[in-house]
Amino acid sequence: MSMLVWITFLPLLGAIGIAFLPATNTRLLRQAALGVTSLVAVLGLFLWSSFDGSIAEPQHGFVRDWFTVALGAGDVPIRFALGVDGISILLVVLTTILMPIVVLSSHGHIEHRVKEFFVWLLVMQAGMLGVFLSLDLVLFYFFWEVSLVPLYFIVGIWGGERRLYATIKFFLYTVAGSLVMLVGMIALIYGLQSSDLMDLIGRTGELPVATQTWIFFSFALAFAIKVPVLPFHTWLADAHTEAPTSGSVLLAGVLLKMGTYGLLRFGIQLFPGMAVSYSSVFLVLGALGIVYGAFLAMAQTDLKRLVACSSVSHLGFVVLGLFALTEPGIRGAVLQMVNHGLSTGLLFLLVGMLYERTHTRMLDRFGGIATVMPLYAIFFVFTVLSSAGLPGLNGFVGEYMILAGTFEASPLWAAVGVTGVIFGAVYLLMATRRVLFGALVHDANKKLADINAREIGIMLPLCVLCIWIGVQPNTFLDKTAGSLDALAKRVEQERIDQERGQAIGRIEFDAPSATTEGEESR
Amino acid sequence: MSQQTVAAAFEIFDDAASVATAPLLTIGVGVLLYLVCDIVPRLRAARGLAFCGTILVALFFELRILGADVVPGLVLDKTFHADHTTALFGCVFLLGTLLAWAYSVGYYHASKPFKPEHDALMLGAPAGMMLMVGANDLIVFFIGLELLSLPLYCLAAFKRSRIESVEAGVKYFLLGSFASAMLLYGSALVYTASGTLSIPGLLDADLSSSTAVAGLALIAASLFFKVSVFPFHMWVPDVYQGSPTPVTALMATGTKAAAFGFLVAQVMPLLPPSGAPIVAVLGLVTMALGNLGALVQSDLKRMLAYSGVAHAGTLLLVVAGGMAGADAAGALNATLYYMVAYVFTATGAFGLLALMEADGARFTKLDSLRGLAKSRPGVAGAMALFMLSLGGIPATGGFLGKWFAFSVLVDAGMIGTAIIGALLSVVALGYYLRVIVVMYMQPASDVEPAPTTQRPMTAGIATIVCGVFVLATGLLPSLFLAPLAG
Repeated sequence: MSMLVWITFLPLLGAIGIAFLPATNTRLLRQAALGVTSLVAVLGLFLWSSFDGSIAEPQHGFVRDWFTVALGAGDVPIRFALGVDGISILLVVLTTILMPIVVLSSHGHIEHRVKEFFVWLLVMQAGMLGVFLSLDLVLFYFFWEVSLVPLYFIVGIWGGERRLYATIKFFLYTVAGSLVMLVGMIALIYGLQSSDLMDLIGRTGELPVATQTWIFFSFALAFAIKVPVLPFHTWLADAHTEAPTSGSVLLAGVLLKMGTYGLLRFGIQLFPGMAVSYSSVFLVLGALGIVYGAFLAMAQTDLKRLVACSSVSHLGFVVLGLFALTEPGIRGAVLQMVNHGLSTGLLFLLVGMLYERTHTRMLDRFGGIATVMPLYAIFFVFTVLSSAGLPGLNGFVGEYMILAGTFEASPLWAAVGVTGVIFGAVYLLMATRRVLFGALVHDANKKLADINAREIGIMLPLCVLCIWIGVQPNTFLDKTAGSLDALAKRVEQERIDQERGQAIGRIEFDAPSATTEGEESR
Repeated sequence: MSQQTVAAAFEIFDDAASVATAPLLTIGVGVLLYLVCDIVPRLRAARGLAFCGTILVALFFELRILGADVVPGLVLDKTFHADHTTALFGCVFLLGTLLAWAYSVGYYHASKPFKPEHDALMLGAPAGMMLMVGANDLIVFFIGLELLSLPLYCLAAFKRSRIESVEAGVKYFLLGSFASAMLLYGSALVYTASGTLSIPGLLDADLSSSTAVAGLALIAASLFFKVSVFPFHMWVPDVYQGSPTPVTALMATGTKAAAFGFLVAQVMPLLPPSGAPIVAVLGLVTMALGNLGALVQSDLKRMLAYSGVAHAGTLLLVVAGGMAGADAAGALNATLYYMVAYVFTATGAFGLLALMEADGARFTKLDSLRGLAKSRPGVAGAMALFMLSLGGIPATGGFLGKWFAFSVLVDAGMIGTAIIGALLSVVALGYYLRVIVVMYMQPASDVEPAPTTQRPMTAGIATIVCGVFVLATGLLPSLFLAPLAG
């Protein structure tokens, strides 16, 4: 059986196993959860080492028939198909190695109903891995929706004061998007009589343009809500803020990547023609997201909310890079997905550690923390610099590639994006100053204990990865090279075809129609 | 009766007919057997056995049809038919009845002396349902409908100590009879216009005259009443809430499944395609009313009643899709799958409410579920599963039912309707999630629930069966689709 089946279902088996352990023995529960997630992480590393980055096609494929539906003309087999390629490999491995860290980070704040927490955590891991590994539309949707439920419980049970509002809002927002996607997905499967992703890629052009357009947007809507792209971002701030630390880490680290992954896989790879036609829409939304998210972050008084808003800004970069539709842009965006997971994950861990000690997240309740928690301060500054894109750390590589790629496609939106880098530095450094430096005014903060070995142990692997990506990004970029090169070439070909098609249109039709087309393209 | 007609009657009742009607006859014999067991004091202990045995034997006959390569098809002078679809429907009806009965075992305290009558009436109900989905003739369908409705009228009023139950019974009886009358009058008009009552005959007949259209509209309206579609849905919340909960489970699932089965298999092909937009709008309005109505309820039973209305709306969209040109077999399969999933989900949900009531809760208020996850993790887990299935979240049958329903709409090219329907079902998740919120995310209320009464094992088994079927319909659809493919 393929390794991918084990990676996807081992967490699920673990969840079932943990469900039978005694609920009172939290120590055993934690060890069991750590054991399962570590095992999956080891499998993830095996997958990483055996993955050949120069191949464009999915590897480690696993296919079984699941069921058959009669749709219109013929029977469409729905298959249980898993596979990993350059688009998904980074996210899969990130998910597997982030999970033990999430389990360890739950120590401080998950003290009641521990068993349930780990069950949901592991179910969620299975769901997320399934999303990244599915090569069948129905299976993808299946995992996509399944991964919603655990987070709904995690935020709703272990979250902050406004957790119920936040969790229901999160669920309804996401479900609204996914149900519209469901209709689009059915129409796609129906129209092309196939649910096999690899078969559908390259065949979507057979559909009429109007059908392609609405199906593309039905997919894009679901993913845009998940990312979240600008007008749909309000659920994120609430869910992030109210989630327990480990939930936030997971949300930032992996869950939001489901949205950007979807945009890449089902927006660009599945509908290259539509992506070329409507790239400007996403460039605008991405660039606006960068700036707007940064402004939102600047205005926050709650440290956790600030980090949540910074996610909107950072993911704006990813959307910008993806829809620049140039090779450096897409590769940078894929790397930036990982970077955001690492940096923002670290930031949420740091905020959580401070919250466990002070029971507040308000910026004005801090100040001068560096004098009592020097080690904490080191990690905090490191993370902020990585998030702000200091050369030599991970954020720089991703943002640079994205901006370079965007500049090729559209200098204007690249310029807008660059301002985001500046604003990012502003709010992150402002927050750092207000938390770490200045006078230690609040008496309660004078006796804070510095971070302990466990907390350092949680953060250290992430920091190592931050430096590694910053210094030697090719280790990671090479794994994605085959698939993303092929994708970029296809998109480029599509762009040339469209331009040629327009040119032919101009020659064949009379002058007035050519001018209207020219106006449209402007 | 002359000798010839008697001989003809025997001629009609050939082998195929005996196979097709075996489940029906089993139920008939079973009811009599049950009553005999009740009268003879020495046999009283065997009443439960008689009930279960009857259902299981009927189930065996249905499974025989389901597993056979050659199905009886049209029998009894083309008035009744049995194929894989009706057999699967029959299995679902029988299992649904068995489950509802299992939940009723510990439910009645005050009316306990009359429990045998209750069981006998309940045992008769699936015969009506099976007759309805197998009917190929308007009169046969009417007989099936009455065979189902009359026991339900009585059962709705069975908790005689409660005024709500009596009210429910009377309301259901009056409005239900009205609907039956509409069906009869519609059939009469159709007969006047076409000269036939048989569905195959009507398919060939010209039904464009105004008399025939009025007749079909009346038939459709009476079916809409039975499945609780706007504007005939007003009775649902009161009747569902007032009836004893196990009866509500049977009413909500069985009646709806049987009426939709007949509507999609037999009536839908008769309806003119030009009516599709009207039916689609009715479906959407029903979904909206059901979901918005459910959203504001604080009583769980009422909430589930409105949710049932919303589900009827979704299925009506399937009917609209079928009228607008979607593959008829696809529409029937979608309806069937949706109903299979819904029957087990809703029966389980209502059944758990019955348990709560049996434990002493006077009303099934949402708040009385507070902290259930802690006090009774098993019940809360099952309830959460049923809620997710009603909401159509994957890994449950509700999701695939929704998937197939929307597929029919896409097949018919009704994309706009599908998207509006999809968005309306987001509203539904609002209240399904609230149940989970109350059970899992809010602390238990100060008032301790009444001490748990001795709960019969049957209810636990029924819940497990419902849960297994909800998951099986969600994960292994081929089990249910394979017999239909042939």
